[in-house]
Amino acid sequence: MRFRRWILPGILVIALAITGVWGYNQYKIKKNYETTMQNSYQRMFYDLKDHVENVQVSLSKVLLADSQEQNVILLSQIMQQAYLAEEKLAQLPISHKDTAKTEKFLNQVSDYSYALASNVLEGSPMDQDQKDALLKLQNYTDYLSQELMGVHNKLTEGVFNIGEIKRKEKEDIENANDNMLNVRLVKLEDKMTKSPELIYDGPFSDQVLSGKAKGLGDKKVDIEEAKKIAQEFTGAENTESIEVIEEGEQMDKTAWIPSYTFSIPKESSPEDSPIYIGVSKTGGKVVWMENSRAVNKPKISVEQAIEKGQKYLVEKGYESMESNYSLQYDGLVLINFAYKQNDVTIYTDLIKVKVALDTGDIVGMDAAQYLKAHHDRNIRQPELTQSEARGKVKTDFDVDSARLAIIPKEGAKEYLCYEFKGTYQGGDFIVYVDAITGKEVKILKIIKDENGTLTF
Amino acid sequence: MKKAVLILSMAMLVTLSATGYYLYINNQNQNNFSSTTEGINSVEVSNAEKNKDGVEESETVNATLAPKVLYWGSTGQDVKDVQWKLAQWDYYNGAVDGIYGTETYRAVRAFQSKNGLGVDGVVGPETAAALGLNFGPVDGGTQGAGTTAISRNDDIYLLARAVHAEARGEPYIGKVAVAAVILNRVENPSFPNTIASVIYQPLAFTAVADGQINLSPDADSLKAARDAINGWDPTYGCRYYWNPATSTSKWIWSRQVVIKYGKHWFGN
Repeated sequence: MRFRRWILPGILVIALAITGVWGYNQYKIKKNYETTMQNSYQRMFYDLKDHVENVQVSLSKVLLADSQEQNVILLSQIMQQAYLAEEKLAQLPISHKDTAKTEKFLNQVSDYSYALASNVLEGSPMDQDQKDALLKLQNYTDYLSQELMGVHNKLTEGVFNIGEIKRKEKEDIENANDNMLNVRLVKLEDKMTKSPELIYDGPFSDQVLSGKAKGLGDKKVDIEEAKKIAQEFTGAENTESIEVIEEGEQMDKTAWIPSYTFSIPKESSPEDSPIYIGVSKTGGKVVWMENSRAVNKPKISVEQAIEKGQKYLVEKGYESMESNYSLQYDGLVLINFAYKQNDVTIYTDLIKVKVALDTGDIVGMDAAQYLKAHHDRNIRQPELTQSEARGKVKTDFDVDSARLAIIPKEGAKEYLCYEFKGTYQGGDFIVYVDAITGKEVKILKIIKDENGTLTF
Repeated sequence: MKKAVLILSMAMLVTLSATGYYLYINNQNQNNFSSTTEGINSVEVSNAEKNKDGVEESETVNATLAPKVLYWGSTGQDVKDVQWKLAQWDYYNGAVDGIYGTETYRAVRAFQSKNGLGVDGVVGPETAAALGLNFGPVDGGTQGAGTTAISRNDDIYLLARAVHAEARGEPYIGKVAVAAVILNRVENPSFPNTIASVIYQPLAFTAVADGQINLSPDADSLKAARDAINGWDPTYGCRYYWNPATSTSKWIWSRQVVIKYGKHWFGN
């Protein structure tokens, strides 16, 4: 009897002990993860600091170096170290708003030194303006590495650790800024706002980022006119059913191509996703159109689809477009059309068309790239003949086709080139040789895809 | 007296279980988190440069996802995709229910024998590729100097997962817009330079932090990711988006608003 009285409490005590042990184990595992995570962040931080210091040192060396060889080596070191620094910074658990400008700074340093290195290699040494810009960049990098040094000292004193940010963030996003690392970097962000604007030939240069569309014309279009354009373009019956997508206050200021955007419900199947279309406010051009629908069994071939796409573009007023590439997926074909002027293919002026393989309807169009880049060009006469240009390419490169083309390179610059398509060691490549200077400008490797076809 | 002891012990047990469960949950979170960090680290090897005009240039091999395999008894969205494709080509006339049963098995075998694949009734990367689905890398066989294992598909798949996690339930165009924002970030200097490092940037996307990124994307998300990679950008170059109903950050409201699709505002 006495014994029975203790059975239940006994079981409970055992259960309690088991739970306790289990709980403790869980706690230990959690601690373990936390440490691993913190270690990884710490490593990231130390790497960041080292990379920034390397950038700073190399920048000061490049200002001193006089020979072109040294300059190229040092500039490529800067490029690589700045790139790595940005990578590490982007992986630290600090919110984007507190690192955006520092990230931009590092990316631009990397991009800028790449542009300078290519310039030097092409035989134009750095001028005084570029050296001044480098000096400024060096001062900012100096400041950045000092700040990181300050954070580092706090880290070693054990005042805080990086992992804490993550936990705090969970509790209260606003309080995260109390953290030392963030405070330091916020201060840095203020300073970086004033870093110099960099004008050069690179994808991240400031003039490329703020570039405006060239192919729109200058006629202003109001919303009713735009509705009409959308109606005509899509063949919708009337403008009443067209719905306007709500736009923000800054559409006109920050969009690449400020546009009115509409959705047009399909009358035959109102439950389906509507047709979406964007019409530019200047020029009234259709920037893009998207008609997402399920595609039934394919009935037409890719060649027929390309023909339909071509016809469609002519109907819409794009006369001399030439198809260059097609990709088949989800029952439709995506076709890239490039503009052609005097037998020169202009790759910057690109329009993409999607054709459904069941009915041959056009289910999508994207002319944004064309509208951004298209303008009246005065194409120069090439100074090299095709066979002279061929001589600049590796002799055992098997050329299948050759033609003149204008290609974009870093930034918004355009190059008139001879385009050689061919094979080398079993791989397909396209090699571009500048038709004016005879230099190899760009090499593309064609990645084979059973569904994609180059059509030239 | 007896009752008191009992109640007391019960209470203690309940408290302790609750604590244990709490720790367990915490632990799960940590698990999710560390898998995210892992993702971040593996990003460093991938540096393939993508441009939007259909032709690719790359210097290094991409980090890839482990291939998926579906067989009898598998369930889920992937099975649905397979069933849908097979139904489209008249191999399958059962329900698209996401359950890999007898009929699906027969249909897969029929498809494999018709298409010169190994007939085993299992959907691996090769059968999936033949179906036009992406289940991770296909073994490329021997590779010469000119050939590579680079493919855009893994980027599309990762992008589709991000779209699925962030914009499930949004209209189709809203999904394309979310994918376009990720790609616009890749091309902007204030952000990292690869698709993966943009997606896995700490504190950038809530659906990445809470592990929803690991869900399998549906067909719509894959389509939206493809459209965005092919150049469609309904946001006209935006780099941010937020949901006014759930957004907790004051900072995001200082962005320059451009357009609204579904529940999301897009801006710069």
